[in-house]
Amino acid sequence: MVERHTVAMTVNGAAHVVSVEPRTLFVDVLRHELGLTGTHVGCEQGSCGACTVVVDGLAVRSCLMLAPQADGAAVDTVEGVAAGPDTHPVQRALHELHGLQCGFCTPGIVMALVAAWNQGLEAEEAEREVLEGHLCRCTGYVNIRAAVRAAWADAL
Amino acid sequence: MISQRLVGRAVPRVEDDRFLRGRGRYLDDIELPGLLHAAIVRSSVAHGIVRGLDRGGGAGGAGSVALVLGPEEVRARAAGLVPVVWVVPGQRDVGHPLVGDRVRYVGEPVGVVVASSRYYAEDALDRLYLETDELPAVVSPEEALAPDAPLLYPDWGTNVAVEPESGDGADHTDAVFAGAGGVLRARMHMGRLAGSPMEPRGILAVPDAGTGKLTVWISTQAPHAVRDAMAAVLGLPQHLIRVIGPDVGGGFGVKDHIYEDELMVCLAALELGRPVKWVEDRRESLTVTAQARGHVQDVEVAYHPDGTLLALRTYGVRDAGANLSIFGAGPHVSLAANLPGPYRWRAVRATGPVVVTNKVPSGAYRGFGQPQAAMIRERAIDMVADQLGLDPVELRRRNMLGPDDLPFTTRTSLTYENGDYPANLARAAELMEAGPPPPADGRSRGVGFSSYVELTGVGPTSTNKVLGVRVGTYETATVRMATDSSVSVITGSSPHGQGHETSFAQLAADRLGVPLERISLIHSDTDVTPYSPYGTAASRSITVGGGALVLAAEELADKIRRIAAQLLEAAPEDVVLAEGRAVVAGTTAGVSLTEVAEQAWRGYDLPDGMTPGLVATRVLDPENLSFSYGTHACQVAVDRATGMVEVERFVVVHDCGTVVNPLIVEGQVHGGVAQGLGAVLLEEVVFSDDGQPLTATFLDYLLPTSSTMPDVQTEHSEHPSPHIPGGMKGMGEGGTIAAPAAILNAIARALPDAAARITDIPMTPSRLWELLQDTAGA
Repeated sequence: MVERHTVAMTVNGAAHVVSVEPRTLFVDVLRHELGLTGTHVGCEQGSCGACTVVVDGLAVRSCLMLAPQADGAAVDTVEGVAAGPDTHPVQRALHELHGLQCGFCTPGIVMALVAAWNQGLEAEEAEREVLEGHLCRCTGYVNIRAAVRAAWADAL
Repeated sequence: MISQRLVGRAVPRVEDDRFLRGRGRYLDDIELPGLLHAAIVRSSVAHGIVRGLDRGGGAGGAGSVALVLGPEEVRARAAGLVPVVWVVPGQRDVGHPLVGDRVRYVGEPVGVVVASSRYYAEDALDRLYLETDELPAVVSPEEALAPDAPLLYPDWGTNVAVEPESGDGADHTDAVFAGAGGVLRARMHMGRLAGSPMEPRGILAVPDAGTGKLTVWISTQAPHAVRDAMAAVLGLPQHLIRVIGPDVGGGFGVKDHIYEDELMVCLAALELGRPVKWVEDRRESLTVTAQARGHVQDVEVAYHPDGTLLALRTYGVRDAGANLSIFGAGPHVSLAANLPGPYRWRAVRATGPVVVTNKVPSGAYRGFGQPQAAMIRERAIDMVADQLGLDPVELRRRNMLGPDDLPFTTRTSLTYENGDYPANLARAAELMEAGPPPPADGRSRGVGFSSYVELTGVGPTSTNKVLGVRVGTYETATVRMATDSSVSVITGSSPHGQGHETSFAQLAADRLGVPLERISLIHSDTDVTPYSPYGTAASRSITVGGGALVLAAEELADKIRRIAAQLLEAAPEDVVLAEGRAVVAGTTAGVSLTEVAEQAWRGYDLPDGMTPGLVATRVLDPENLSFSYGTHACQVAVDRATGMVEVERFVVVHDCGTVVNPLIVEGQVHGGVAQGLGAVLLEEVVFSDDGQPLTATFLDYLLPTSSTMPDVQTEHSEHPSPHIPGGMKGMGEGGTIAAPAAILNAIARALPDAAARITDIPMTPSRLWELLQDTAGA
């Protein structure tokens, strides 16, 4: 019988305990055990950023993380960014400036930018360094960069 | 009277909210009770005779393997061939068996494994071994043409799948060349590309034992085409297959195909009587999903010393891969048809073989032959300008069709409808000149241009007979107003990122006087939506699908006005629909649309002879294609020491007729330019000499990132299409079509010493650096 690990964590403020095979990718726990399908799997190679979530305040690629590594962690996913009718300034700017098309890479970008926002990064760091770690095949990035500048400038 | 309130406005998209909150519903987000998971058995060799599947410990391992279908089982269960929808005279490939007697590329699917989780299905794959008698692989199309080359299809006696001849005849073309004062000759290589939507492909097949119906969720651009192919291969009647497209995370052409692995998942689900899901991983996406381009073209341009372009002739060896995919010779027909671009020519001719090789098949990818045509023509025109010592903008201007030349029928039988091509060229040049002076940082700089005409809005079904397309390319729309005056628009068009839910609603809102939030779009469900066998491709959604919607909405608006006129004791032509009301123009008299809708559905006291209800359905089969056009211009900086190219500025001046939503249109331009940039600077699918794919991750196959992609300055010049209701022209592919040549021309301008040899894409840093070393050495 395959060994299983118990993983206790907080996701979007709620406590969860799951039992998993040690090889289980953390993104699969989020998506298929907890039903948080807003986090997407784009490459399973850590290169596209679609699966980005925030673990203990840092943006991480949940496809490169094994589920047992989340034991004891506080995790935020895109579903937890804005529960009510109001969205985060990053989400609002991406909407107003058309910074998304098919939407598949979007949750990862939202989470990376929200983490940068919460860490107090400057707009230029968010635009140049954070976005550089995310692949988007639809937008050509032009409007995503504009959205970052607008959100940080509180222009909306 | 139609009051234009939303069309033309930069309305933020209605679909954004769910995507931004993680509430989208993509294929892999769908969970069902009793769901099983598939993994695909694939060939590990590029060419071989299939002997069978060694099951080793395949069945009965950990994790309850439910089913293994090997090549024999798949073959026995397939009722028909995977269809080819585009067939031209002499084409040898007109349909493929689901699993043949040999494998012809690494990754070719030959079976399927189903287990209780994807982890266990992949564990089971590790215990299976496909037995093959390996054959020598043919990887380059030039080798495939050699007399002693191994044959992929021995029955053919050749590796040439088809050798289309397009445009003017040889004699006429030769005569124009013979009379020319100058001829440019260049060989151009274009690398193979992978469309790479961020969401890979995926399918969920759900058989219903009670009704005998198979419901299929699939990440696709063309649910109806998928349904038709499934019926043919699975041997089910079409009415017992329901294909639904959920939110689709990009397609770019590669999801306009139906794939053998997807069909095998359906076979497995039917065999088990259980829902089965399969989601492609990125390695599969980069190695087994249809690829595109992959050409060597020998290009010749005949010209007069006075700068008149006379003739364009190209002989191309085109790499199809292991078969012609469902699109057959389509991309090659499109390449040839689109060679003339916005210029006058006395002869245009394209020939050359489409060759099968032991690589994944190529097929549809954004532009579909048009990027190759633009690259051939626009790079060649710049090289002619160099030979003549003329400014490349001036050479383009002299030969460009003017507004008074339109409508104009090209040497390849396309009829451009309207517009002002030189105005866009001039404006792009003006915008480039207005830019800031480049910094003195030691890099070489150049400015490049590329003008194009974009074939869109495919298209009149009558021409499909001539082109060899075996399906219709009309679209149908139904507009339905409920008793509360909210509106459902039902379309055969199937979005995957383009924003149909917003732009289609904008078209309906203006005609019905209903606010955007009270309109929803019903799409991508073959049980509910009208038949659309070509799907969302060829920049045809807003033109053909949107045009059909305009017709249906106008018909419904007429009925609403007639009912309202009776209620208001006014003439129907005096009734205006706006802001949820029907009002008599110039007065305060009015009635709410809800009152009108209640009356219509109650069904009595209607105008004489009127049927109850508020539904209108119209089919649009446009009389012509619609042709967008424009000019791209850019400035690059080249570091001669490293071969690194930076695109510093990018300008697009284009005309796509009526701009329904500038946000969406410009977003499409940006994305298209980015894919064009990728094709020139970064992206290339590479194989080893024995056919093993070497670019199976995003660390090897490089997509543009934010730092590689400049901002894009976009201007629109609107000449509405006369034969599309609403005046739209398609524009989803223009960026990808024109950008490669603009960037390559800019690189050549930056490096005048090497310009004559800058003819290949991708022009990666290593390739450019080597070329510069060779040039310096010579």
